[in-house]
Parts: sequence; structure tokens; C-alpha cells
Amino acid sequence: MYWNDPRAWSPFDELRSLQREMNRFFSGYENGTAMSRFPALNVWGNEDQVVVTAELPGLNPEDLDVNVVNNQLTIKGDRHGDKPAEDSVCHRAERESGTFVRTIRLPYTVENDQVTAKYENGVLHVHMPRHAATKPKRIQIKAS
Amino acid sequence: MKDRKENAVQKVEQSEMTRTGKEYVPAADIHEKDDAILIRFDMPGVTREDVDIRLDNSELEVSAKQSEIKPEGMDLIMGEYETGVFRRKFTIPQLIDRENIKAHLRNGVLDLELPKAEQAKPRKIEITTGA
Repeated sequence: MYWNDPRAWSPFDELRSLQREMNRFFSGYENGTAMSRFPALNVWGNEDQVVVTAELPGLNPEDLDVNVVNNQLTIKGDRHGDKPAEDSVCHRAERESGTFVRTIRLPYTVENDQVTAKYENGVLHVHMPRHAATKPKRIQIKAS
Repeated sequence: MKDRKENAVQKVEQSEMTRTGKEYVPAADIHEKDDAILIRFDMPGVTREDVDIRLDNSELEVSAKQSEIKPEGMDLIMGEYETGVFRRKFTIPQLIDRENIKAHLRNGVLDLELPKAEQAKPRKIEITTGA
């Protein structure tokens, strides 16, 4: 497959995502929740573009910092823990707050200045078109 | 024979229908005020129409279906999370004024406000001193 960069794949990443999935499945909110220190990402792509999505509930767009350099995407942010009311007593606090960061390698270099990001219903979407210079080019073969 | 086969097919279809996706337990914070109980859930990818809140006697059930994201014409290169249904049940010990329950959804966070019924609110007891 065209996006298979052998350096981008690591068995440890595979194991970590399996562990995350299992934890989320069995214990729900403990570990591997929607919100964690290293948020889980889904990466979608085809020959022309990559889309990265992440579940990051309860943020304001200004708390999020999305950076793209060549083929590296970094998503940083800070979730502030806030009380729902000033005079309330806390009985249970499962939702995590604090900073999070995640860097991933994209399958190809993208156009840095055409990257768009959207934050909707607590889900971040980053849309990145492929850099024109890295697109596969069909070579015409001339017959002599 | 044919009937039985049809029944069997129907049964299979029904059993597949019982679950629409994976179920997840949303993380929740529970706070209490003098006059209300406040519950906050993390529910990313959920829209207002997909949230279902039920209070049956003392059992509160919140469920919400996440909208699935699948960009058209693209393949999943790396999948670390899946979408499904958030579901969680609580038993509420106090009496709740069920007419005035408020729910607010913003940026994937659901805030529930369950006001306590009049008889469940704390009352300050006046102490009289014998003269």
C-alpha cells in the first residue's frame, strides 16, 4: 500500500492501542477513556489527503494547539478542571483534566498552509491535503 | 419447513439488532449542591438528538449514541478508538423534582442538573432556648 512507511509502523504502537481498546471496553472510564494524557487518534487517508480525528471533550478551541511540520502532526491541549457550581461538594471525579500531547507521523508530507482543523461536539478533525511534490506521478513511456 | 426457516432468519436478524455498536461507560463527575445534584459526563461525538435521559423512580439512565465518522473515499490507516454508545446508570438516593431536570450539552460534555424535591432539601433547624 502506498502509505505503508515501514518506519511509521511499530509493534509497540499496535500493542498499546490493543491495550487501550481492551481497557476501554472492560473498565470504561478507567484508562484509555476518551480523554487521556495521550489521546487516541483515528487516521483516515487516501492518495490525496489525510484526516485525523480525536475525541477531546470539554475544550475550547483556544485550548487546543495543532501543529503540522512536513509529515508530523502534533496535537496539544489543556483541559481545565472546573466545578459545575461554586458551592458544590464533589462526590465523584472520574473525568481527567490537565495537559495532553500526541505526535504522529503522517503517511506523507502535507501542505502546511492548507491544513484545516474543526472542533465539533468534542471531536477534533484535522484535514490535511497532500503536498503536491510528493504525489505519485504517472510517467509516460515514449517509444522510440 | 419454510416457516421455520423464515423464523430462524428473523431470529438472527433480531438478535443482531439488539446492539447497534460497542457500549462504553462515560466518565462522570458527580457534585452536590444544597438544592441539586449535578452530574457531568464526557460524551464526545454526541449531538443533542442522540442523548436519552430517563429517570425511573430512583434509577437514572443516560445513553447517547456517538455519530460515526467515516470520511468518504478514505481508508482507515490507523484506528485507535471506535465509536459506539455511551450508557450509564445511577441510583439516586434523594427525591428529585423530576419536572425541573435540566440537561445541557456543550463540546461533548453533558451537564445534568437534578433539583432535589422540596422535602429532600436540607432544612435548618431552629433551636429554641428555654427561658
